[in-house]
Amino acid sequence: MSVITAYCRLTEDVCAVNGEVKLRRNVALEDSWFKQIYRHFDFSYPKFYKMDKLSQAGFLASELLRKINPGIMGYGDDEIALLFANRSSSAETDQRFKDSYTSNSAPSPSTFVYTLPNIVIGEIAIRNKWYGENMFAVLPKFAPDFYKNYAQILTSSDSKAVLCGWLEVTAGNTDVFLFTVEEKEGGTEFSEENLFRLLETAATH
Amino acid sequence: MDSLKEDLKKQIIEQLNLEDLTVADIADDALLFNDQGLGLDSIDALELIVLLEKYHGIQLTNPEEGKEAFRSIDTMAEYIRKRKAA
Repeated sequence: MSVITAYCRLTEDVCAVNGEVKLRRNVALEDSWFKQIYRHFDFSYPKFYKMDKLSQAGFLASELLRKINPGIMGYGDDEIALLFANRSSSAETDQRFKDSYTSNSAPSPSTFVYTLPNIVIGEIAIRNKWYGENMFAVLPKFAPDFYKNYAQILTSSDSKAVLCGWLEVTAGNTDVFLFTVEEKEGGTEFSEENLFRLLETAATH
Repeated sequence: MDSLKEDLKKQIIEQLNLEDLTVADIADDALLFNDQGLGLDSIDALELIVLLEKYHGIQLTNPEEGKEAFRSIDTMAEYIRKRKAA
């Protein structure tokens, strides 16, 4: 049976894993919210600082999922699929790239490399050496049926686990929900109802 | 603190959009292109070449020079001083 084995939620001021709040944003600190999370959990991956906000969010949530669910690293490198979606694509970084050549006269190569939303999948894949199937969809809103249907397709072929994610990160809005789906007995059934419930309640306890 | 090195750190943060980093986060001897250092890559090397010309008026055309010059903040500062003294 397909079950949700772990989930991570990041909002504007809360970082929660498996429904338990792990960190709240400290507005008194100068550090950005994502840097606060990075430091709090002692992550050590300097490339984090080069990433745009979308990739930083995906990196942090996937690292937290690895911590809580280390078993995910036991699969073969092509047995974990990555299935992500959001609403605003890479619009924030697209705008920054545009600003780099309209206001500074020279386009920024280091910003340009993040002007596609699926770069976050590449960052996570590089970090974990996961070379399985992957997809990033741009959808009007969080759609549990999208994850349910595509994960089913992926696991019916060579994928044994799927790292799924809703990654909407724009100015003033952090709406991140990552979860792992595996074939196991027990756990939270991978259903549309449960996805909605976890999304709504994951950062409230 | 060596003001050239401090300026270089600020310029790297600005040029590479490393907005979450501060000058204090970058050690003078940290390897710029190493995962244990700053984790820069080939795209960033381009940015560093632009940085040298933009802020210091130095054109770097020999890739071998770049390899050595871009090892760390220490070597970048040394390279700039040498080029300006020449």
